Amino acid sequence: MEELLEILNDLNPDVDYETEERLIDGKVYDSFKIITLISMISDTFDIELGPEHLIPENFNSAKAMWEMIQRIQEGEE
Amino acid sequence: MSILSVGFLLFAVGLIILYFALPKRFQWWVLLVFSLGFYALGGLRNLPFILLTSLSVWGAALYIRRNNEAQKAYLKEHKELSKEEKTAYKAERKRRRKLAMLLCLLLNLGILCAMKYVHFLLAQANALAGLFGGSVTDAVRWIVPLGISFYTFQSVGYLLDVYWGKCEAQPNYLKSLLFTSFFPQIIQGPISAYKELSGELFREHDLDYHNFSWGAQRMLWGFFKKMVVANILSPYVASVFANYSGYSGITTFIGALCYSAQIYADFSGYMDIMCGLCQILGIRLTENFERPYFSKSVAEYWRRWHMSLGVWFKNYVYYPMAMAKWNQRLGKTARQKLGRAFGDYLPATIALVATWLATGLWHGASWGYIAWGGLNGLFIIFSMWMEKPFAKWKKGLHIREDAWLWRAFQVIRTFLLVTLIKVLPEVGSLRDGLGLWKRIFTEHSLPHSLGELLPFLDSYRNLAAALFGIGLMFLVSLLQRKEPVRARMERKLPYPVRMAVFVLLFFLILYFGVPASGGLGDFMYAEF
Repeated sequence: MEELLEILNDLNPDVDYETEERLIDGKVYDSFKIITLISMISDTFDIELGPEHLIPENFNSAKAMWEMIQRIQEGEE
Repeated sequence: MSILSVGFLLFAVGLIILYFALPKRFQWWVLLVFSLGFYALGGLRNLPFILLTSLSVWGAALYIRRNNEAQKAYLKEHKELSKEEKTAYKAERKRRRKLAMLLCLLLNLGILCAMKYVHFLLAQANALAGLFGGSVTDAVRWIVPLGISFYTFQSVGYLLDVYWGKCEAQPNYLKSLLFTSFFPQIIQGPISAYKELSGELFREHDLDYHNFSWGAQRMLWGFFKKMVVANILSPYVASVFANYSGYSGITTFIGALCYSAQIYADFSGYMDIMCGLCQILGIRLTENFERPYFSKSVAEYWRRWHMSLGVWFKNYVYYPMAMAKWNQRLGKTARQKLGRAFGDYLPATIALVATWLATGLWHGASWGYIAWGGLNGLFIIFSMWMEKPFAKWKKGLHIREDAWLWRAFQVIRTFLLVTLIKVLPEVGSLRDGLGLWKRIFTEHSLPHSLGELLPFLDSYRNLAAALFGIGLMFLVSLLQRKEPVRARMERKLPYPVRMAVFVLLFFLILYFGVPASGGLGDFMYAEF
């Protein structure tokens, strides 16, 4: 989770990732930032993200992202 | 059937009566019968194409669903499998799903490309062969099936959503056919996502006074925009586009501005008519416009103009391409060798170039549309790359982002930019589009009379009606910033006054409205 928070803070340090739950629905991240975020997550956690993972529920909060990363690492997705 | 005809009004009335008179479980059947009837009235030869698309997409989507269910059941039954065995089994299942998806995609995009681009490709081949004294053929005369660009994209979006597990496949073919052929969106969109539209189509609806009243008001407003603004401006624009080389720069520029007003009144007018009709039925149709001419950048404009097409390209072209393994690898290499910023921007830039060239081609098979898409993409990519330097310059110049003068400058600049880009493919050939630009920027003679300034003018009555209509649309857009105008009117005006406003609007349409001459009401986006 620490590494993920580092990535997110690097991308946009003005957001409180402990409480923010509308990163996508609230348009905090635009389509360009989403692509950068995906690149960084894929690199850092050595996972493969595809369009099937691209739903607001997976990216609306740091917690949701972390859960998605864990699901992919465990081979559930 | 023309949307601007008594026939269409009778069609709509018949639909509303049957929709609410029959038991609610038959409501989607009524929609299906009327949708197929509407489509068949546009030409029976269109039907096989839409039936083939709906059948192939329904079959492929259902195969993917069954394949997924079988996978889940197998894994549930065989818990003893090792992680590697499970991964291998899943990969094999996924390979089959992917094959079904790709074959279906190929079939439907193949039909779309063949019907829409064969003439363009043959013209290019002939031009190339002509350089060597030969020719290919010019005997192909295919007529593009009605609404093929819209229903193909909507169906492809549904198929990909099923493949990616973002929505469930519809097992009932007739329901799937209704999703593909739903008549309010068949001519000009919107391109809806299955998840959103299916809920609206298959839910049972009650006749509701509020929906009925607001829906009818919105339809009236749509007819006003189309008949009083778009149809009056249409011959003015046609005259400027046909004779730009003989008109002054300022007249040509006015023609370009008229085109911007015309296409907005036309396209959003159609949307108002169809969204209004759907609202009467209790169905919420995807919105396509959010006051686009008040956008502060080209990128924002495209998030507010023809929104459903923008969302489609973002979800099904931009994201898959930007996330593709090869593109991500390219970004990673660029990050290592050329710096972080370059590597971050590269995958998105490649995806944007492809997205905008495809958007151009979707609008039409011509070099003008390819240039139009390329230019839109260029502005969006340029502003993305320059975001940080611009922010620095603005800070240096003490420009406040929320200052009204700065916002007004951004809105006017964006409006002029999109107007100039818009006219490029519409004048005729790309050469004509560039010729019109040249005329605007290099011909500076001042007209000496109104007749010289507006040589295309047919009557002062029509000009006054169009200007009044544009003024009213501007006022409505301003008021819509906070809430729908109908909500504001309900809050502020008593019922008789509100009624009088809409009666007045009705008589304005009757008195000033120009009916369309061609089929389907001559809506501009029907050509796409």
